[in-house]
Amino acid sequence: MNEILTQYFDLSEMSKHFDQVLNGFVITLELSLIAGALALLWGLILSLLRQLPGKPFLPVRFATIAYIDVFRGIPLLMIILLISGSLAFLPLPDAITIPHWFGKPDTFWYGVMALTITYGAYMAEVYRAGIEAVPGGQMEAARSLGMSHSQAMRNVIVPQAVRKVIAPLLNDFIALMKDTTLVGVIALNEVALVGRDIQGKAFNSSALTLGAIMFLVVTLPLARFVDKLIAREQRRFTRGAPRVEAL
Amino acid sequence: MSEPMLKLEGIHKRFGELEVLRGIDIEIARGEVVCILGPSGSGKSTLLRCVNLLEPPEQGEIYLEGRDICKGPGSGQGESSWDLDFVRQRVGIVFQQFNLFPHKTALENVTMAPEKVLDRSSEEARASGTALLERVGLADKLEEYPERLSGGQQQRVAIARALAMDPHVMLFDEVTSALDPELVKEVLDVMRELAAEGMTMLVVTHEMGFAREVGDKVVFMDEGVIVEQGKPANVLDNPREARTKKFLGLVLER
Repeated sequence: MNEILTQYFDLSEMSKHFDQVLNGFVITLELSLIAGALALLWGLILSLLRQLPGKPFLPVRFATIAYIDVFRGIPLLMIILLISGSLAFLPLPDAITIPHWFGKPDTFWYGVMALTITYGAYMAEVYRAGIEAVPGGQMEAARSLGMSHSQAMRNVIVPQAVRKVIAPLLNDFIALMKDTTLVGVIALNEVALVGRDIQGKAFNSSALTLGAIMFLVVTLPLARFVDKLIAREQRRFTRGAPRVEAL
Repeated sequence: MSEPMLKLEGIHKRFGELEVLRGIDIEIARGEVVCILGPSGSGKSTLLRCVNLLEPPEQGEIYLEGRDICKGPGSGQGESSWDLDFVRQRVGIVFQQFNLFPHKTALENVTMAPEKVLDRSSEEARASGTALLERVGLADKLEEYPERLSGGQQQRVAIARALAMDPHVMLFDEVTSALDPELVKEVLDVMRELAAEGMTMLVVTHEMGFAREVGDKVVFMDEGVIVEQGKPANVLDNPREARTKKFLGLVLER
């Protein structure tokens, strides 16, 4: 029992490395927020491309579905390795292939790219579920009022769809946040790698535990918030259509 | 008054194997109110949805104010061959299920299309939207969301929303069928008023009283064809066709 405490919960270990671990966690947060925002946007774009109507857009729809299927089916770790290992050799400007934007190292941006590519595909599916959950009469009403397909999507369908899927999108964001630790394998000093380095030198895992606790500080309230949103959505759903007291 | 407002010629529509419309011809003069009756599954709703090209027909011609809006039989060229803007800005439709935008207030429901489609300023759209909602008796509900409104109120918002595009023709697709009985009258009253003001209307309905009182013409449809049409008094009181008699017998006996 004592060994468990000293291996995982050694307070002096934790306080000794607190600043180091926190710095790593800040990088984790930055990675999560930037990749999360980009994935939310990219997923929405993908889902809209997938909904483009008519024959002329068949190739676009097909390519979008293929993209989503492929990147949902490949492990994120492999995407990270594929990007970080070879992007620098592609015949493109160095500013793109070896990015150091906003003073962040290239490994940070490789991580952002891999997370956006993968989670964009996941989130596209979530948006699609939301779009398909909007009753068909909404599109018909918008179209019969003279709106174009894109006007109807923008003003009528997407606002309703997004409201329906905020909770599952946040769930994906939590998953993305946890998956940022995979970017440690290409030597980005995010919280897991920092913890692992300390673990290797000190033969003690308490710094890693500290990193895990920092995760919980963020993910637990988020998960609770998601539960609340889902419960609220269900109440709306079961309450039914017009309320009698409004008459 | 020479050319009809709306003229349908030989309209055919099928969904897969099922031929829902099998050659429909109707002429509607400007300001005329035509009520379409018939058993469910007779193609009434599909016919309305053909007129504003929500369900474009495979065969036949639709002339709106003399213009062919559905070029060539079986025009399989997709939406590009139909003049959607011309149609949708002249033909308003009100649905059985209201289809209000739930994330917008009553007033926003009415102002959205004029702002986005007709590029009206938001002040202009709000002013005319407010006037329209007053006209349908909802002056005190401008800022309410649809879920806070009764079915009858929602349907009146839907009528105002369609009117906001200044349509020349209004289509009503069983607009009182989803309403509780006590809410039907408030919607029919709005429609009566519209008819009195000279709006051209094509009304699919089961309200025999409304058809008799407001309709200039009644069309009875069954199995995708027009069985009988004429003055309401003739069709409703002295139907010639057996199918019409049977249907009216079932409806009026209730």
